[in-house]
Amino acid sequence: MSGNKVIKNLKSFSTAAERFEGSHVLCPGCAHSIIVREILNATNDNLVVSASTGCLEVCTAIYPHTSWDCSWIHIGFENSSTAVAGAEAMNKALRKKGRIGADVPEPKFVAFGGDGATYDIGFQWLSGCFERGHDMMYVCLDNEVYANTGGQRSSATPIGASATTSPAGSTSYGEKQNKKDIIQIMAAHGSPYVAQVAPNKWKDMIKKIHRGFDTKGPVYINAMSACTTEWKFAPHETIEVSDLATDSLVFPLYEIIDGTELNITYRPKNIVPVRDYLGAQPRFKHLFKPEYEYLIKEWQERVDAYWEYLQRREEARV
Amino acid sequence: MNSKIMDIKKIEVWDGNMAASQAFRQADIDVVAAYPITPSTPVVENYATFEANGYIDGEFVMVESEHAAMSACVGAAAAGGRVATATSSQGFALMVEVLYQAAGMRLPIVLAQVNRALAAPLNVNGDHSDMYLGRDSGWINVSTFSPQEVYDLTLCAFKIAEHLDVRLPVNINQDGFMSSHTAQNIRTLDDKTACDFVGPYKAVNAMLDFSKPVTHGVQTEEDWHFEHKAKQHNAIMRSVKVIDAVFAEFKALTGREYKRVESYGMEDAEIAIVAFGTTYETAKIVVDNLKKEGINAGIIAPRIFRPFPLEELAAQLQNVKAVACLDRSAPGGTVGALYNEIAGALFNSPARPVLSNVIYGLGGRDMTVSVLTGIYKDLVKEAATGKLNGTIQRFVGVRGPELNYYNA
Amino acid sequence: MSKSIKDMGWDELVQGAALFSFEGDVDYEMSQVQPEDRNYAETNSRNAYVGDWRVEKPVFNKDFCIDCQFCWIFCPDTSIIARDKKMIGVDMDHCKGCGICVEVCPTNPKSLLMFNENTDNEEALTQWPEKSEEKGE
Repeated sequence: MSGNKVIKNLKSFSTAAERFEGSHVLCPGCAHSIIVREILNATNDNLVVSASTGCLEVCTAIYPHTSWDCSWIHIGFENSSTAVAGAEAMNKALRKKGRIGADVPEPKFVAFGGDGATYDIGFQWLSGCFERGHDMMYVCLDNEVYANTGGQRSSATPIGASATTSPAGSTSYGEKQNKKDIIQIMAAHGSPYVAQVAPNKWKDMIKKIHRGFDTKGPVYINAMSACTTEWKFAPHETIEVSDLATDSLVFPLYEIIDGTELNITYRPKNIVPVRDYLGAQPRFKHLFKPEYEYLIKEWQERVDAYWEYLQRREEARV
Repeated sequence: MNSKIMDIKKIEVWDGNMAASQAFRQADIDVVAAYPITPSTPVVENYATFEANGYIDGEFVMVESEHAAMSACVGAAAAGGRVATATSSQGFALMVEVLYQAAGMRLPIVLAQVNRALAAPLNVNGDHSDMYLGRDSGWINVSTFSPQEVYDLTLCAFKIAEHLDVRLPVNINQDGFMSSHTAQNIRTLDDKTACDFVGPYKAVNAMLDFSKPVTHGVQTEEDWHFEHKAKQHNAIMRSVKVIDAVFAEFKALTGREYKRVESYGMEDAEIAIVAFGTTYETAKIVVDNLKKEGINAGIIAPRIFRPFPLEELAAQLQNVKAVACLDRSAPGGTVGALYNEIAGALFNSPARPVLSNVIYGLGGRDMTVSVLTGIYKDLVKEAATGKLNGTIQRFVGVRGPELNYYNA
Repeated sequence: MSKSIKDMGWDELVQGAALFSFEGDVDYEMSQVQPEDRNYAETNSRNAYVGDWRVEKPVFNKDFCIDCQFCWIFCPDTSIIARDKKMIGVDMDHCKGCGICVEVCPTNPKSLLMFNENTDNEEALTQWPEKSEEKGE
């Protein structure tokens, strides 16, 4: 059986035969593994997976154990995209030469990277893969911080977050720069499919993963990954915090097709104030001092403006 | 073999870059991922032209940097097929991180490296600083002295790298411009003979073999890392057997003989120079001249830089009274690497020749017959007195006051 | 493999530190075969144990379960065992006790609750709360 798994509802989804095993050593409550499970379980195809150096890699392939029931490779911090692109090129070559038969179903090529690997150190490699048009899916596990090394800022760390290299202190509110808009940047590569997903909104996510797997060419998925350790909420709150992220529109869920056509895929029934999202995470607790009240206000304005922008883009169909 | 055969003459006029490109084409590589850099750019350009004219059945991926080139090579090799790339100098330096990973993951990638100086100051010409940079990366390192050797040894490289007892990447070095851009008569093999010599690729732990899901590039900490590095070292040390066997097979096919240590005039030599690359060829002329003068000089070169032929080099230097080790790389605050390694090779042997270190040819400064003659003439004095003629290390061919370091 | 990897010297390990997920060849489609019918290698983390990470453990009360599978999809540790669309139980070798399954359980009372790791499961079931007046989430 090949292609996407038919998923009518959560019950039918739950019949999936898992290909990501337990006893990896990710933190209790880590969203990375929820995201990975949702993606791997969404397809029946054979998989060639890569991971950049980071939480996912370090915690799922510690010798002498692997948590992957599929082909898997890690090279370095910056090159999970290119690792899978190389494998994809080899697949093409061996099929062209007849060393892999035409009757053998095509596998899927999936690269995982954290936001550090994606937004920062591996950006050039990612950009190169997308420009060349490899048939692959790149998934950024976006937890807005270098979590694997203990919580240093990345260019995905949002303004006002306290990270170990941009700590909040008596004269600082923490991170000074706004998060890089990676989704627009990847869409600008002309990628046939770019989407932001969140594991709590699993139905929306599976739809996008299915579309991604069905798309020929380089697909970019930005997956919001709430980090219990560095966002400093309790492990059991992962889904709750994720809901606040999607329902406050801090992480709006949308897709961009062929670099232009934008669709909003989730409209919260009740939009939650950004304040509630920030309040659930001690990485932002200093923002609730009176002197930083303006930052929360600005943040809300930014989220509102971006939501407005997305809606206008969607309406304009350009 | 690629489906479209190229009609090549028995003798072609190729430079070292074309020799590497043609060997790549004939080896029927599955994936070449590359990024151009002077002086190895033509290796990539030639290959692109072959591809554009239908001579390449495999994939050719032009990536956005040398780091990505080697990253794609690692991904492709782990997927299960023949892989190669080319680079030089700064590009090689950018690749270094992934070179260690390729070797540690035991992936038989072939790299055509056209040696060039490392900046700063920026320089596009040949020296061995890039080769030295990669010497501890776990790759088998081969030194070539001419375009013919580039062709021959690139074909051998695939066979060595992919041998089931080896499974290590191989770096075929040639001197920037002196070899890469010097056209010479090359005795060729036809496509079928060359491809049959290289043989079919044997997949090991391939990611595209879904009957055996495999994890590559794991984390090993203090409880496992040492065992794997030990295993890797053992593989490169034991690769000499395969290297010798492949050289023997190549000789049987072509009549051209390669050894892990090449030497000329060493049978009766009292003085010797040890050097890499094209300098060997120039030194052969000097050796002939000197022998006519009654001076018993020889030249010796490690053909295989890694695994280092320590015993073979020591054996060849047992009857020599004075040796100059020539390093074409800025030594960065010590003696040259070759000097160190020759000294190490000799230390546990009975021989105690006078041993000096000459730094030469940086950034492509010509190594001429007259400079080499001068070095040999110094060796004559040292052989006669049994003492160094000055310091252990000296620079030759550089303008300005003499540079001498380390008193014996 | 008869010899454990833990007893192997450098000479016996797989080159390149490669790890295999399964013993022998996989002659079936991985996505179609449940774990109990797979031949896992010693080197698969499925054969490792993280149960000792837990301070609290989830206890499953099937009396209230509606098999909605929220716990299954949101488990970060592949530890909710679902077969034939039914929730069967928790894999205590791989569960780290994060408590997400309890949080996302929509029944009233919940079908999964956290108890001290040392509490006997039978005992825990006797302490199960009644249906609460507040509407379940």
